Amino acid sequence: MVNALYIVVVALAAAFLLGFVNPLRRGVAYAITLAALALMSWISAGWVWAFAFNHATTVDFLTGGAPPPFAINFRMGLPEATLTLLVSLTGLLSALYLKDVLFKLGHRAMAVLLVAVMALSGIILTRDLFNMFVFFELAIISTAGLMLLSDDARALAAGFKYLIISQMLSIFFLVGIIFAYHATGTLNIDGLAAASLGLKAGGAIAFFFLFIAVVAELKPFPANGWALDLYESAHPAFSAIFSAATSSAVIYAVDKLLLIGGAEWLPMATGIGIITFLAANLFALPQTNDRRLLGYSSIAQTGLILVVLGQRDILGDSVLFIAGGLLLSHAIAKAGLYWISGLIEGRELPDWAVLRSRPLLIFAFVTFIAMLSGLPPFPSFYAKWEMVHILAGEGRIALLALILIGLLIEAGYLFRWFGYIMKREGSAQAVNCSPFQYAPVLATALGAWALAYVWGELSSQYFSRDNLLLAIPLLFALVFLSLEWMSAWAKNTLAIAGLTLFFYLTYLEYDPLHMIFAIIFMIGGAVIFLASYHVHGRRIGFYPSAMLMFAGLVLLIRATDTFSFFAAWELLTVGSYFLILRGKHSEPHALSYIIFSLGGAFLILAGFALAAQGAPQFNIAALAELTQPLAPWVFLLLAIGFMTKTAAIGLHIWLPGAHGEAETDVSPMVSGILLKAGLFGLIVLLMTMGKQQLYGVELTYVMLWIGALSALLGNLMAIFQEDAKRLLAYSSIGQMGYALFGLALMNHLGWLMALLFVINHYIYKSMLFLSAGGVAKRTGTRDMYRMGGLITLMPLSFIATLIGIIAVSGVPPLSGFGGRWIFYNAILSSEYRLPMVVIFLAGPIAFLYLFRLIHTIFLGQLKDEHRKLKEAPFWIILPQMIYVALLLIVAVAPGIVLRRVDAYLNQIFPEGGLGWAGTEITSNYGYWNPVSIMIIVAVIFGTLFAWLLFVNRKAQKVKQFNIVFAAERPYRPETTHFAWNFFAPYRKALGFLVQPFATRFWEAVTNILHTAGDLSRRLYNGNGQSYAFHLIGFVVIAYLMRMGV
Amino acid sequence: MPFDWMKIPYALLTLFIVVNYGFLLNALIQKIGARAGRRYGIPIWQNYVDMIKNYGLRSSITHGAMFYLGPVFRLSGGVGLLLFVPTIYGSYMFSNLSFAGDLILALYFIFFGTLGMALGAGESGHPHAAIGVSRGLAQVSTAELPFALAVFAVALQYQTLSVTEIVAAQQGGILNWTLFTNPLAVAAAMLGFLGSMMRPPFDVVIAPQEIPIGPPTEYHSSYLALMQTNRAIFPIAKIVIYMNLFFGGASDWPTFFFKVFLIYLWSAFVGVVFPRFRVEQSIRWFLIWAVPLGILSIVLV
Repeated sequence: MVNALYIVVVALAAAFLLGFVNPLRRGVAYAITLAALALMSWISAGWVWAFAFNHATTVDFLTGGAPPPFAINFRMGLPEATLTLLVSLTGLLSALYLKDVLFKLGHRAMAVLLVAVMALSGIILTRDLFNMFVFFELAIISTAGLMLLSDDARALAAGFKYLIISQMLSIFFLVGIIFAYHATGTLNIDGLAAASLGLKAGGAIAFFFLFIAVVAELKPFPANGWALDLYESAHPAFSAIFSAATSSAVIYAVDKLLLIGGAEWLPMATGIGIITFLAANLFALPQTNDRRLLGYSSIAQTGLILVVLGQRDILGDSVLFIAGGLLLSHAIAKAGLYWISGLIEGRELPDWAVLRSRPLLIFAFVTFIAMLSGLPPFPSFYAKWEMVHILAGEGRIALLALILIGLLIEAGYLFRWFGYIMKREGSAQAVNCSPFQYAPVLATALGAWALAYVWGELSSQYFSRDNLLLAIPLLFALVFLSLEWMSAWAKNTLAIAGLTLFFYLTYLEYDPLHMIFAIIFMIGGAVIFLASYHVHGRRIGFYPSAMLMFAGLVLLIRATDTFSFFAAWELLTVGSYFLILRGKHSEPHALSYIIFSLGGAFLILAGFALAAQGAPQFNIAALAELTQPLAPWVFLLLAIGFMTKTAAIGLHIWLPGAHGEAETDVSPMVSGILLKAGLFGLIVLLMTMGKQQLYGVELTYVMLWIGALSALLGNLMAIFQEDAKRLLAYSSIGQMGYALFGLALMNHLGWLMALLFVINHYIYKSMLFLSAGGVAKRTGTRDMYRMGGLITLMPLSFIATLIGIIAVSGVPPLSGFGGRWIFYNAILSSEYRLPMVVIFLAGPIAFLYLFRLIHTIFLGQLKDEHRKLKEAPFWIILPQMIYVALLLIVAVAPGIVLRRVDAYLNQIFPEGGLGWAGTEITSNYGYWNPVSIMIIVAVIFGTLFAWLLFVNRKAQKVKQFNIVFAAERPYRPETTHFAWNFFAPYRKALGFLVQPFATRFWEAVTNILHTAGDLSRRLYNGNGQSYAFHLIGFVVIAYLMRMGV
Repeated sequence: MPFDWMKIPYALLTLFIVVNYGFLLNALIQKIGARAGRRYGIPIWQNYVDMIKNYGLRSSITHGAMFYLGPVFRLSGGVGLLLFVPTIYGSYMFSNLSFAGDLILALYFIFFGTLGMALGAGESGHPHAAIGVSRGLAQVSTAELPFALAVFAVALQYQTLSVTEIVAAQQGGILNWTLFTNPLAVAAAMLGFLGSMMRPPFDVVIAPQEIPIGPPTEYHSSYLALMQTNRAIFPIAKIVIYMNLFFGGASDWPTFFFKVFLIYLWSAFVGVVFPRFRVEQSIRWFLIWAVPLGILSIVLV
């Protein structure tokens, strides 16, 4: 292996050499710079390779031929190798990116760049305190130099502020060094650690100065205004270095210092870290300037890593895995994002909408924000999982909660930004992209995926968890990324084939319970995909997102341990978010969806972590073995997490917009299929953990109430909707309430009802959404009162809706009745009475919105502008007809599905199953014969119909306006179609129940966060003196806290 | 209870009796209401005259398939409801088609006719029909609630959903009737009953006196005949359920006629005393006065 000293030597030599190059021959100078950076990267890469594959051990390189403390030594271990590689690569890619600027500024700028990279590498490598100080000084000076790369006039001021602060820090550092040397007689880091600096006279104060000087370089809150000004005004390539490389180097310096300080300084690091993490994320919320936002995010991320370093007492050997995962994710993502920001003219976040013209850049952007948000399969995801588990295992719950809150806020503003990109009007300017600027971004994005693979491998090696990137469903979804050039038709066929094939290959592995979900997720998904054939063109972005969601769903039912379950959960969340975002007006709704979903996911994560109690592997089945006092808390966290997905009341506000505004074929996917993931989670939870009591309150009883209220309020809100798809969306809230209620009954029939609901809801809600979507496609509106009388023009859609509403309402003879019948039998065997009242009230209300749906769209008066409409496209109709057939089959022979599930449920609830004698189904209380019902109803109906035909055979079809209307003919269908505010009396009587309390509550939460974030404008006023004051304040407070005066 | 072909003629016999009784009873109640208002009222056979007239009308139009099917749905709902419940307790002959399902089937089948009718009326395109449906649905959603609660209370009380078994449990003396064993449930149900009989104060749905409003607005001739037949069957079918659940059922036809008459009279009695509610008023009324009784009956059972 090459001596690590050469990293420094190469940079110095090259910088020196640049001085001899003819200033006019910039190409040569540039080539030298690139070559030097490449060489440095190569040296580090060689070391990384050696550590990874050749089992190399950590090596010390001596300078001056003497061992420490007589001379300085450099150390090359795995962290050093990785970090120096990161620093050099950032330098190299930035140099490529900066080609034009460097050519303009000439060889001096290149030399400064080289010195900066060299200094940062030096900080990482050196084991000598004074040497570190020197490298810090070099880094500061070169940083100030690099600031001048920017065209922004504010950069000069920012650089000056930076120098003020840095000089103060240098003084601290130097004073610390003096005291430390005085106390121990050595400046070697390992020597200082061995000498227990803190215990020596004056040692604590010495270390305080050292520590504060280095930590302050990490821009802790509140002493970080200078850094934000820097990020905002500097050249993005510089910011990339500053954020990715400088932060990494300084973090490592802090890590080395903590070695000296020992365990007692860890709480300090944690405290500074978590406050910085939270404050920076909060302040990032109201930012509109992209680079400043990224600056806040950088600060937050380094704060988080500082927390990790501060927790090294409990993180143990995992600290490298966690800190490394977070740090590399941060570095890669931030460098990439800053580079992208350089390609865009405007500085406001919505200006990034120009990226839409470059799908590859969108891909890169998504990769980066997924990395920052800790989504699978990126390293930060593995790190997050590991960290949360250890924190929960050690009982550091408060810290855990704060971290998760910070992560949620961060994900919030990152995904909001992504929403802007996909949905806002872009400025006319195209993305500026020379290949030199384009390439580093893409290379980084690819690097991110490579790193995801590496972390997955590490995770499977050390913690024997699955490498997510090796999961077939996920790979299949990712393949679609490379198929974007194909036609939508081909991709659709592939998607359907993939889902059915995977089902075919695995269907033997599922028990009846999982089988229901497997069929709905895979076969059900394939049926909905039939509707996607109606879209022509390439439909870029649709298939990777949809398949990502399906991959998550498939992995979810196949998961046996909490890790794979959670990973699948996040995958399906992200995939469905991208899907929902595709709707024309769904930007705010997709955002609220992802925030609620991630919030729910974090609760699930916390629940799993609490349950595992530090165990590296935790099977879902082991949830059953948890005991008091832990079990109810785990139950609570998981239940709320899953109920976020089923949109239980209070957590429901994301659903109507998300489902209503989604594309025609996406609505049934997210409603008919995705909601079932939440129910699946609840089923798994209740099956393993059963009834839990918290402070004497039975939690399943609370769930019973939540289910009942969701059913009531969901239905109630549905009847007041004018928008057909929103009506259906609210109806889903109600329907999920019923299912939740059934599960919470915790008896045999309750579960059977919930599972029947799972099947029925998939069928009829998918069908109704497709039908409403098809109509909306033809009429160009989703407002029902703008339609009317479409029955003759769209008869098939009408039939689908008719069958759908009969099934939803539970009227015999269709399959919904089976659900109602089981429901009544289930509540009879339950000891709870009061929640039933609420759910009784909810029942008939369903008729109101269902009638409104079919009446205002298909019946009543046809509008003039709709007279020439055609039936919905064939491909949208086809799945609806399949569903009609399915509903009829389930109606006549519910035993096909129910019987096996009933038998399976006997394992869980042996009491109270159903009896199956011939076609009759019996319970402890009653009986029901679906075949007889169907025949009797058909015979009665047929006879009467025949009678009417006989007596009324000469009926003439009259024209639209031929009605008894006080001798007038109402030629204006708009005024004759009674549709708008259809249930006005109901609003008068019960409207007070549907006041948007939940919406207002969540709005208030958001507003409070934004207002708190706005404080930053007062704090960071751009004045260098204020910033110096912040720094001093920070030092004083830190001193008081630490020294306990 | 297995199916056997003889059940079909028996069921038709029940139907025949109930239709005729329904025609007469409707007219009788109408007449009683009129006398209470110091009017003379219609002849007792008026409904037969109307039937003949409606079938005899030659003008016949349709607004479309759903419109055409509306009355069929409506009458099927009424007939089905009647036949899914045993009429005479202990009689094989008049146990009808109750082998197909229990009480829950009957309760949900009520909506079959309502829904189909509403759809048919909707296709006529007449705004008054839609207004009537809107009012009807809004009102019935809370009017049915006390009844549903009472049914639940009764099912809990007797631990069964089978109508026959519920009646059986009430045999052996008037004090065994649910009316006395669970008076709160019966009170709730009887208040709810008022809401579904289309009499004041809850008759704003069809507002029979003043304007041609409500679902039947556009229906005439044989359509109307079908619906009128249903108007004879449906209240009786519904009352049969009430009678079976709360008033000990009937073990012979005279008892049946008597009990049905009395229960029907209850709605007429209230109807002649109270003026009409607007829909939101009736919704509030049911929630405030009837539902708490139902809740109490469930809690206390």
